Amino acid sequence: MVPKDLLYTSEHEWVKVENSVATVGITNHAQNALGDIVFVDLPDVDKEFAKGDEAIALESAKAAASIYAPVTGKITEVNNDLDDDPALVNNDCYAGGWMFKISINDEADLAGLMDAGTYEDFLKSQD
Amino acid sequence: MAATEDSLLRTPLYDRHIALGAKVVEFGGWAMPVQYPTGIVAEHLATRKTTGLFDISHMGRFAVRGAGAVEFLQHVLTNNCQALDVGLAQYTIIPNETGGAIDDAYLYRFVADEFLLVVNAANRLKDWAHLQEQLAKFDDVEMTDRTNEIVMLSLQGPTSRAILEEVIEAGPMPEPARNSLCEVTINAATVKVGRTGYTGEPLCFELFIPRDAGEGLWDLLIAKGATPVGLGGRDTLRLEAAMPLYGHEFGLDGEGNEIPICAVPLAKFAVSFSPLKGDFIGKAALGWQYEALKKIMRRDTSLIADLPRKIAPVALAGRGVARAGAKVTHDGKHVGYITSGTMVPLWGSQGVGLSSRQTDEHQLRSICLAYIDSDIYENQPLTVDIRDKTVPAVTVKYHMRSEAPPFARPIIHDFQLPAAPLPTGPAKVKHLLDKALANTVWRQRECINLIPSEMTISPMARLLSVMDPAGRYAEHKKSKAFYDADIFYYQGTGFIDEVERTLEAEMLDYLGCAEAETRLISGQMANATVFSAMVDYINRTDRKIEQRRMRQVMNNHIGKGGHLSSQPMGALRDFVSRDPRTERPAVVNFPVLPENQYKIDVPAALKLIDEYRPELIILGKSMVLHTEPVAEIRQFLTAANIDSVVMYDMAHVLGLIGPHFQMPFEEGADLVTGSTHKTFFGTQRGVIGGRFTEDQERYELWEAVRRRTFPGAVSNHHLGTMVGLLMSVYEMNHFKEEYQPKVIANAKAFAKALADTGLNVAGDSEISYTQTHQVIIHVGYAHGPEIAERLEANNIICNYQACPDEESFTASGALRMGVSEMTRFGMGQDDFKTLAGLIHDVIADNADVTDKVKSLRSNFTELQFCFSENEYEGVLQKLHKLL
Repeated sequence: MVPKDLLYTSEHEWVKVENSVATVGITNHAQNALGDIVFVDLPDVDKEFAKGDEAIALESAKAAASIYAPVTGKITEVNNDLDDDPALVNNDCYAGGWMFKISINDEADLAGLMDAGTYEDFLKSQD
Repeated sequence: MAATEDSLLRTPLYDRHIALGAKVVEFGGWAMPVQYPTGIVAEHLATRKTTGLFDISHMGRFAVRGAGAVEFLQHVLTNNCQALDVGLAQYTIIPNETGGAIDDAYLYRFVADEFLLVVNAANRLKDWAHLQEQLAKFDDVEMTDRTNEIVMLSLQGPTSRAILEEVIEAGPMPEPARNSLCEVTINAATVKVGRTGYTGEPLCFELFIPRDAGEGLWDLLIAKGATPVGLGGRDTLRLEAAMPLYGHEFGLDGEGNEIPICAVPLAKFAVSFSPLKGDFIGKAALGWQYEALKKIMRRDTSLIADLPRKIAPVALAGRGVARAGAKVTHDGKHVGYITSGTMVPLWGSQGVGLSSRQTDEHQLRSICLAYIDSDIYENQPLTVDIRDKTVPAVTVKYHMRSEAPPFARPIIHDFQLPAAPLPTGPAKVKHLLDKALANTVWRQRECINLIPSEMTISPMARLLSVMDPAGRYAEHKKSKAFYDADIFYYQGTGFIDEVERTLEAEMLDYLGCAEAETRLISGQMANATVFSAMVDYINRTDRKIEQRRMRQVMNNHIGKGGHLSSQPMGALRDFVSRDPRTERPAVVNFPVLPENQYKIDVPAALKLIDEYRPELIILGKSMVLHTEPVAEIRQFLTAANIDSVVMYDMAHVLGLIGPHFQMPFEEGADLVTGSTHKTFFGTQRGVIGGRFTEDQERYELWEAVRRRTFPGAVSNHHLGTMVGLLMSVYEMNHFKEEYQPKVIANAKAFAKALADTGLNVAGDSEISYTQTHQVIIHVGYAHGPEIAERLEANNIICNYQACPDEESFTASGALRMGVSEMTRFGMGQDDFKTLAGLIHDVIADNADVTDKVKSLRSNFTELQFCFSENEYEGVLQKLHKLL
């Protein structure tokens, strides 16, 4: 079951929209596939990204992965707890394992994101 | 993860991995678990704290047999397989003609007529084809691929030894050294065990089991507490141990060039140029590499073209993870690439030194191996390109150390030991005096001292040790020009001349021999002097040639109680040859009885003497419960007409020489060395006794002993303690009839009383455990240091001791105790029984018995077995006044 109140990308990121700011993390499916997250290379606050840019490099014990900006905007906050405890991404991916917040310049960027039901269907289609 | 394809090979444990929920990936053509549900970090940490269990049945295993097997293996491998006695394994490399690695491998010799070569799974077919092609050039060699017949499990980590001991039904554990092998029965199946592994864990075992018994053993080891670890954890563990992985540190580098074998630091142990190897594959290229490597290690880069880059451990100083292929820069210059890198977890550590403990917290650190220019040494700053960033890094010597079992110890590159403050300023003088007073009161009045190598000297010996001629010089040498009269080099030496001649005469009387050398100032120096004299004597007929070392020595292994000073790592180092076959010091160890490892197996020892013909046989131990078989060895040497010199290092038992223990010269020893302050009455010095008389050819050895003492070992021979020692020998010769039997009776009573409390006393209960002053108790694997510390906190001073089956002093599971000093202070059998009860209460119940120990000690503060008559009072007072 994936949380109902979030939006999802086809790259297995979740996006939570509040007051024109998107909070971004990775889904349970993604953390499970990556295995132990050992390093999250967080972006600098105020850095600007275009939708689809690589915003974060994520390192698991075995391999590296990229997290992309789901919208165009500017980083407003990052989760510094991940510096000391990157395993939060594995253990609490939808809450304590959030990665960054980005301002939403254009709400239209959200149009391509999936709701929970669509994402679950998407996961099934990937099996 | 992608589902495994049916075409992939599966180990016999595949279903077990699936049932455990493993993520399975393709590796070298096999469907293998990369991790189990707890994940790589947890699996890595479990291996470092408890035990990891790895299915490595995918590795290729080739059995090589036949009369030509050795010749074949010498040709196709880089190491010297003739150095492998039965029961040993070695790291080795399959080289190509250009000095690169076709693969790295491990060669096991479980039985005399078969070698088992373990190769990487991904290279199995390639290795097989190469070896088959070579095989055609040799006669009488048969090679079989036994990969599918044998399940191979790896059991690694601090508790692996306990797990293995628990499941073994029959057969011995392998000897406590890396690469030793044995065969045991587990679950009714025959299991071959090697102390090898790919994690850097000091306690490490690899198990070879018939295919059908694999699942049963896997389940049993998990039931006993082993944690299954997949290939992901295997990789992070080997990276932390800086062990190479083919395809990363061997094979081709990032630019497609072959990595020379000698670029990998571990290869030093895997490449041999022994003449026994003949003309092996890649020999010429490896020779160039090796010459370059030796120069580079001496910081000479003149041959660097033959070894331009090397594999080096690198720690990231900045944030990030360096992966294989990342570009490395030094001083703005591109110097190479990362070959392996990731974040690895490590347990926190608390405390310092031997008392440091793993905590239950863990952290992560970013480490790697890099292939960088050979002239970049340790602690050099680097930068690593990670995506669009440049991250600072540093070359380090290692990421972890394995020599302190039971744990592998992570080494963090910028770690600083906390500095203990030292006394400074004007108060430091008073501080020193106060502390000396407090320490003397504590050790002499309030503690029970059970260190078997210590003794308190008598007040007279103590006083004499600091009076004149303390601090003076009295070098002297017998001169043939003056009928061997002693010639002194300085004036004012009349008194010490008399002391020394008297000391010699008293020592001859005590030892029961013809000659004694008393100028050595320690037992270790006495041993070094004998070894040096042996080399001097062996070369006496030709002084123009390079003086050769002793060809073969026999001794007690340090792990079986042998003296440190009789080991190649100790005083023997520069006096014994290398064995051309094993390329190790030519030392053969006395075999011990399987049922009592504290005792020499005499028939087996005699066979070895016959086989090895040692020039010097060194008896004697520092962990000593029994007499040494001097008479048996002498009889055998005489009967077999073997011309070995028999030396008995009696350091510990010098004070017990006599009818209650052993009379070394009557039994046939040629030389006795000793320290004069363990069971003997002190002061702290050394002595050599010899049985040779002037009419014997071997007297030339004794003359060499004299030369190697002075001017070989001493110039100033510490005249003060020599005068003190003369008093100690007077005491010993006068009181030994009473002292010696009392020491042995006390030791036996103490041992028996300790056993009666339920403690595990080592040795043979039939003889009340000991024939000496020593008592050994087993307190549990690796618990020795902690319990010795706990006893010290209760004013009972002894030392932790590794048992014959333990890997290192850091893993000591025993305490060594001696009764001689407290016997001299007057303790009797009942007092030792009381003490045994107190020791039990500390060890078993963690009781605080400090006050009871102080109270016991308060009855025994007057030293016995020394002269205390009133007639000496007046002169003693005068001496005191002169201090």
